[in-house]
Amino acid sequence: MAIAILISCMFGGCDTELRINESGNLVPKTADQDPSVPAIKINNALLHAEAFGPPAGPMIVVLHGGPGADYRYLLNCKEFTNQGYRVVFYDQRGAGLSQRFPKSHYTMQVLYDDLSGVISYYRTSPTQKVFFLGHSWGAMLASAYINQYPTVISGAILGEPGGLIWKDVEDYISRSRKFEPLSETLSDAVYADQFITGKEDEHAILDYKLMLQVSGESSEIGNEGKVPAWRSGAVTFNAYLELGDKEKPNWTNNLNRYTPKVLFIYSANNKAYGLSHAQKVSSVYATVQLFKTEGAGHDMLSFPIGWNNTYPVMLAYLNSLK
Amino acid sequence: MYPQLIILMKFIKPILLILIFFFLSTKNSYSQTVNWESLKSDQKHIVSAHAGWDYAIVYGVSYGYQIKSKMPILLNVDFSIPAGEKVLEDFKTKIGAQFRLYKINHFQFSASIHGIYRRYENPLVRLQNFGSEMKGIAGYYKPKWFVAAEVGFDKAIVTHFKHSNLYRENYYADVKDGWYIPTGGNFSYGLQAGYSFKKSDILLRLGSVVTQNFSTKPTIPFYAEISYNFKILRVSK
Repeated sequence: MAIAILISCMFGGCDTELRINESGNLVPKTADQDPSVPAIKINNALLHAEAFGPPAGPMIVVLHGGPGADYRYLLNCKEFTNQGYRVVFYDQRGAGLSQRFPKSHYTMQVLYDDLSGVISYYRTSPTQKVFFLGHSWGAMLASAYINQYPTVISGAILGEPGGLIWKDVEDYISRSRKFEPLSETLSDAVYADQFITGKEDEHAILDYKLMLQVSGESSEIGNEGKVPAWRSGAVTFNAYLELGDKEKPNWTNNLNRYTPKVLFIYSANNKAYGLSHAQKVSSVYATVQLFKTEGAGHDMLSFPIGWNNTYPVMLAYLNSLK
Repeated sequence: MYPQLIILMKFIKPILLILIFFFLSTKNSYSQTVNWESLKSDQKHIVSAHAGWDYAIVYGVSYGYQIKSKMPILLNVDFSIPAGEKVLEDFKTKIGAQFRLYKINHFQFSASIHGIYRRYENPLVRLQNFGSEMKGIAGYYKPKWFVAAEVGFDKAIVTHFKHSNLYRENYYADVKDGWYIPTGGNFSYGLQAGYSFKKSDILLRLGSVVTQNFSTKPTIPFYAEISYNFKILRVSK
C-alpha cells in the first residue's frame, strides 16, 4: 500500500510542501490575518462581525454556541431584518474568524466586555432596544451577561442553553455526548490524534482537529445534518470548559432582578434535553415562555423545518417587546 | 523526479535505511510484545492477536520472524483497525525490527523501530500518513513471566490530506489538499508484563500518551493492549 502511494505520488504528482499550522491551508485565516474578513475592533481584539437591517431598528445580537463555534450556522436569523430589526452577528473572541489569544487570556469578564463593546459599536442611540438571541453556549453567555447586568437587555431568546449552573451543564453534556464505544463516530473523533498534534498556541492545527472531532456529533441531539461553520476555536473551547470545571459558575443569582419575559426554546428531537431539563434551566427567570420546536434537534435554528417552526414564535415574542 | 517527492523521501529515507540495514545484516525481524527469556532460538515464527486502546478501540494481528543471530532479533509486520462500521476506512500497518540490546542476569534492554503507514477517513477528510515509531524497553525477564517499562515516540512524518465536498461546502471552500510535513508526534510511556506457558504468551501493555511538545494531550491520553502470542518451532530440514 505504501509503495502504491509513493508510486501514485511519483506519477500523479505530489503537491508542494504544505505547513499544517499555516492559516489558509486547512482552515481560513482569521480577521487579524486577512483584511477582507469583516471585523470590528473591540477591547484590543479584532472580532469577525456583521450587521444587517436598519441601523436604528431594534437590535438583535446573535450569540453563537460552542464555546468556540461561530455564527455561520445562525445566519437564518437575518430574516428578522425584513421586519425592521437590526441583526448583529459576531464571532466571539478566539472563535470563528475572530482573533486568537492564549488560553490564559479567556475569562467570563472578557466575554462580557466584548459583548458590551459590540452593543456599543452598533447601537445608534441610548433608547435603541437590545435583544439577545443566544443558542446553546450562546444562550448560556446571554444569561450570564443578563445575570451580570440585569437592566441592560430588553428581552432574550434562549435556545437550549446547557445550564445556568455548572452542574446542569455537566448533566446535559454527559447526556448529549453519548457514543457507542465500538462505533465509527467514536473512532472518527479520536483516531486522528496520531496523525495531527499541535502546541497550545498552534491555533490552526488545534482548530482543524476540533472541526474533525465535532463533525461526528452524537445522534442524541437529533440534528438533521451537519451545521456549517467557518472555523472552530479550540483554545477558547478548552479554556471555557476548564474554567467551568474549575470555578463551577452559577449565573442565576441576579436573574430575579430581570423582569422582561424570556422566550426559552427547546427541540423535540434532542433526546438529551427535553421538557424537564428545559423547565429546570428556565425556572430561574421570573417570566418564561417555553416553546418546543417540533421536527428539529439541538440546532433548531439552522435547518428549514426547525427555523420555519420557530421563526414565527420568535418574531411574535420580539414584536411584543420592541 | 518531482521535487515534492524529494521532500517526501527526505523524511522516509532515514527510516528505510535503518530498516534495510537490519533486514540485510541479520537476514531478517518483529514488534510484538515479547518475553525474551521464554523465546527459544528454534521458535522462528510468532503469530499474535491483540486488542485494546491505541487512539481508539483497535484490533490487530501481527507476524514475527526470529532471525538466527547472536543478538535476538525479530522482524515483524502488524496490521490493526479501529472499531467502526466502515472497516478499511481507518487502519495502521507497521513493519520493522525489534532486537535485544543488552542482558545482565534477568535484566534485559531492547529496542524497536518501525515504519508506519496509516489511514484515516471521516466524512470531511481522508488522511494517509507515513510515520515512524521508536521504542525502548527495559525489564526483568523470567522464563514464565516478565515486567518491563517502555518509552516510545510515534512521529507522523508526512501526511496527505484529501478533503471531501462536505468540508468545502460546510467549512472551508479554499482548503488546500496535498502533502503536509510534518503533522504530529506523540510520546508514550508505560509498563508491559506477560505470562508465558508452553508455546504461548499472554501480554499486557498500559501507559500514557502525550504530544511531542508536552503541552497538549490526545483526546484519550493513554493506551492499553492485551495480546496473545503463539510461537511456532523452526521447521527441521
